[in-house]
Amino acid sequence: MIEAVELTKSFGAITAVRGVSFQVRRGEAVGFLGPNGAGKTTTFRMLSGTLAPHSGSVRVLGADLFESPLEAKRQLGYMAENAPMYPELTGTHYLHYRAELRGIPRAERAQAVRQAAARAGATEILGQIIGQLSKGYRQRLALSDALLGDPPVLLLDEPTAGLDPNQVLETRRLIRELSADHAIILSTHVLSEVEATCQRAIVIDRGRIVAQGSLDELKRHRGHERGRVQVRGDTQQLEAALQNMNQHGLDARLEATDQISTLEFELLAPGSLTEGVQVCLQAGLQLVQAGTLTAPLDEVFARLTQEHQP
Amino acid sequence: MSGCWAIFKREVQSTWLTPLAWILLTTFLLIQGGVFYSIVVHMSQVEGGVSGTGPIQAYFGQQSLLMALSLLLLCPALTMRSIAEERRSGSIEALLSAPVTSAAIVVGKYLGSLLTYCLMWLPTLLYFATLRETGTLHLATILSGYVGVFMVGAGYLGIGILMSTLAKSQFVALLLTSTFIFSLFILGIGEYIFDSAALRAVCGYVSLTSTLEETAQGIIDSRRLIFYFSLTIWALFVSGRVMDSWRAPA
Repeated sequence: MIEAVELTKSFGAITAVRGVSFQVRRGEAVGFLGPNGAGKTTTFRMLSGTLAPHSGSVRVLGADLFESPLEAKRQLGYMAENAPMYPELTGTHYLHYRAELRGIPRAERAQAVRQAAARAGATEILGQIIGQLSKGYRQRLALSDALLGDPPVLLLDEPTAGLDPNQVLETRRLIRELSADHAIILSTHVLSEVEATCQRAIVIDRGRIVAQGSLDELKRHRGHERGRVQVRGDTQQLEAALQNMNQHGLDARLEATDQISTLEFELLAPGSLTEGVQVCLQAGLQLVQAGTLTAPLDEVFARLTQEHQP
Repeated sequence: MSGCWAIFKREVQSTWLTPLAWILLTTFLLIQGGVFYSIVVHMSQVEGGVSGTGPIQAYFGQQSLLMALSLLLLCPALTMRSIAEERRSGSIEALLSAPVTSAAIVVGKYLGSLLTYCLMWLPTLLYFATLRETGTLHLATILSGYVGVFMVGAGYLGIGILMSTLAKSQFVALLLTSTFIFSLFILGIGEYIFDSAALRAVCGYVSLTSTLEETAQGIIDSRRLIFYFSLTIWALFVSGRVMDSWRAPA
């Protein structure tokens, strides 16, 4: 539904985004993750057609964003970071103006504004002047703007920033609902938000994509999924097994007790416990239980964005 | 040009919702009222009247230095916010992500400032209503005078939009537009300075004072119309291209 191909953007000598490519299909919400300054907002601005890339292309439902911008942009709902709007207008005036810009026919405009505001929980603030709204309400109004005319592709840059906990939950619920029949890209550095709303995540660091896939795939990414075996045996056997695992490069840790001891180690291939179990058996340990542990997403994120540092 | 009408309406609405337009209107009318009042008082005190001219011609033409100064104040101030402020506040992002062309944005903003400019001139019609009480009015001369200020204003507002596109701060946009207009004004003075006939002709062609003096006499020269029309089109075209360069690769 929306496809970015080799997007690259430099600001002077600094390359903010380099060779970013991905696809998001209808029916999925994708988290766009990265530390501050990773290139998330720059990528979003290129995806929304507000910033020219130096190279690369974006296609929205088959329409090239830079060659047929009007056709492509009609399919896009974009909520910019910090939701800049016109402070002198009321919510209703602003949304009517935006609906007209989006080419929604006059007869359908009032209905489109009502629907979008209701979905984003902004109905009660429509009559208020934007300059007097709190940040949370401005965010809701900006979300209503992105939802105007129900575009099939939604680009949401930090949609829950500044919202209170109840509003955050409501917005996440809305994103989950919308993801059933939309393609959504959600930029955030709140990892729990991605876990609560997205099926997939793209991790960007220093302008490059360092990982992408389903949340389970990311957690199972080499080094982010660990094997865990529980064994019975004496200290000598346990020490031998630990040493052997580390010689195989499995980065093992031992938690020894009188009864059942636990060995945790890195998996050489996703889902493969074989090496660790074999080492334990060779050391004469009695196997009680074996399984895998997935790391929490924040740990995966930290490793992914730190391991690519120079 | 879809979206142009929406941008035009918002531009006019936002201009009149902020104090800027009202402050400008008040200042502009104080200057214009003062000029007109002094012309009428002066002419009424000269016995037998001032030969070869009347208050309308004097207002639109012979006092064109004052007119130039008020245009130098008004046009840059009317356009300085239009795009520069959107860039400063970040609302330009929402505008550029909408399915509207750069041409529609630029033309919508330009027409919005042109309408506001015309609305600022509207109360000056009352000056001529007061003259009607004391004599007969030559409507064609009044109309021609207004064509002059419209033509010049249209060109200068075009320059203002261009500078507002180039600058990120409205203050810089104001300075750039004022400098550009002032340079044209100074160039116009060259009509009386240079020895070369060709240079004098060029300076006369762009001269603000000569333009206003001519239209005040009821002369509408197509060359001047073409000059201000092409100045406007050039400025708007460049503004559109600049905006295109922000959002699509060259």
